[in-house]
Amino acid sequence: MTPHRRERALVRPHVVTGGRAHPTRNTFDVVTVVVATRASFSGLTPEKRRLMELCRGGPLSVAEIAAHLSLPISVTKVLLSDLFDSGHISTHAALPRTAHPDLQLLKDVLDGLRARL
Amino acid sequence: MDQQTLAVAFWFALAAVLVAVVLLVRQRRITADLREQATGAQAVTDAWAAEEAHLVNARIPALAESLSNRPVEVPGPVNPRFAQSHGRVLDLFADSVQQATARGEQSAKATLKSMMRAVQSLANEQQVAISAMQERHDDADVLQGLLRIDHMNSQLGRRAQATAVLCGSWPGQQRSASSLTDVVRGATSRIRDYLRVNIPIEADIAVTSRAVEPVVLAVAELLDNGARHSQPNTAVEVNFQQAHNGIAIMVDDAGVGMTAEELGRAARLLAGDGASDISRLGDPPQVGFAVIGVLAARYGFRVSVDTRSPYGGVRAVVFLPTELLTRVDKPLPTPAAPAPTPVPAAPAPAAAPEAEQKRTPGGLPKRKRREPAGEQAAAPSAPPGSPGAARPSEQIAAGLGAWQRGTRSGRTASPTAAEGNPQA
Repeated sequence: MTPHRRERALVRPHVVTGGRAHPTRNTFDVVTVVVATRASFSGLTPEKRRLMELCRGGPLSVAEIAAHLSLPISVTKVLLSDLFDSGHISTHAALPRTAHPDLQLLKDVLDGLRARL
Repeated sequence: MDQQTLAVAFWFALAAVLVAVVLLVRQRRITADLREQATGAQAVTDAWAAEEAHLVNARIPALAESLSNRPVEVPGPVNPRFAQSHGRVLDLFADSVQQATARGEQSAKATLKSMMRAVQSLANEQQVAISAMQERHDDADVLQGLLRIDHMNSQLGRRAQATAVLCGSWPGQQRSASSLTDVVRGATSRIRDYLRVNIPIEADIAVTSRAVEPVVLAVAELLDNGARHSQPNTAVEVNFQQAHNGIAIMVDDAGVGMTAEELGRAARLLAGDGASDISRLGDPPQVGFAVIGVLAARYGFRVSVDTRSPYGGVRAVVFLPTELLTRVDKPLPTPAAPAPTPVPAAPAPAAAPEAEQKRTPGGLPKRKRREPAGEQAAAPSAPPGSPGAARPSEQIAAGLGAWQRGTRSGRTASPTAAEGNPQA
């Protein structure tokens, strides 16, 4: 993963979530797509700021956000629920059909991997 | 008897009497001298005995007391004649006591240090294991348990680390430069009442990589003190104050404050005076200020606790000079969309021309990141000279800057890492 993973995180997850492990809503999945809906970050913790900055660049899945923030997915979900409640983000349950990677691409990847291994 | 014989006898008798008288007088003088000498000798012996009793009963005990750092004055000799000889005795005594104390201290420190190192490395390993579990389990109940364990383990690690530092070890952990806010939050991660600490967001200023861990440790001890010595329903406020040649981190609690005696002790320990003697930290040992003093002296920051906080308790101030500060590297240059796309269903058209896929050096097709349609169209097509190209060139500059910063931090990381390891 990112080089930050090797270094033990300075700010531990219990401080990141304020000790909460349960997200306020159950709607987040690993593949849920998140879109930023607000441009102002005032009053947000540094992790939430970074999350909003990430999302400003375009829709991202929960898994991608977690990887970029170097946070566990379950912790990311707590942050996302908070941001959803405060109206900073909105979600899509799944990607639109056309946005799925096409079969040809997946096949190419498979062939490429087979050719290498 | 004739006359002559009588005369001779008389003269002999007279001579004998004279000799006897002379001898008697001489003897008398000698006796008086001897008596005088005997009296003098007796006086000297008495004085000697008295001085010796004084040495054994008063001076040496007082010296022993004062060597164990109690405020006792060592009395001088009763008779100044013995100042030199007894002074030598006292010096020898003081030397040997000091040597023995230093040896004992040294071995106690070495033992404690190696024990704490073992505890510390176990706590670190445990933290890695906890982090791995946090990554692996996507379940709120499991996470709840893991957060508690992580919290306790962080406190355990901090205690072990603080004790090891007090015994002359380095703080260990190599960190990259972190923003002030993250440094204080890192400190908050390691104390019991972390939810009571309020921290402002200070995004621009960072602490240099070398100083991150010591500052985190010092601030953690101050926050812990603040939280421990105030009511559970009060907050511990952290503030940053920009100063002429550095920045001050202020930790205010709403507790009972400190007495003049406690303040004196704290000031002495914060000045770095506590490291010399770990046996004088009290029972239970109060390591906080002593640890901060050691770290502050070694890394060149200052800590004071002698101001009152506006909430009635103590205001602790950590002053970080400019040498320990740096500018924050923005983690990622934000794409900064000109207008945040209000319609969330935008990503569809981006996936259309899939034919000319980019390829990795290994020949695998590359997946494109899906971006809002407007931005994707604008960014790559605008020629560098055109008026619309202001933002892309900014992005390129930001990208190059990030690359350069990354290279630089990668290069500076290795020598500092070497500094921490041999001792840690």
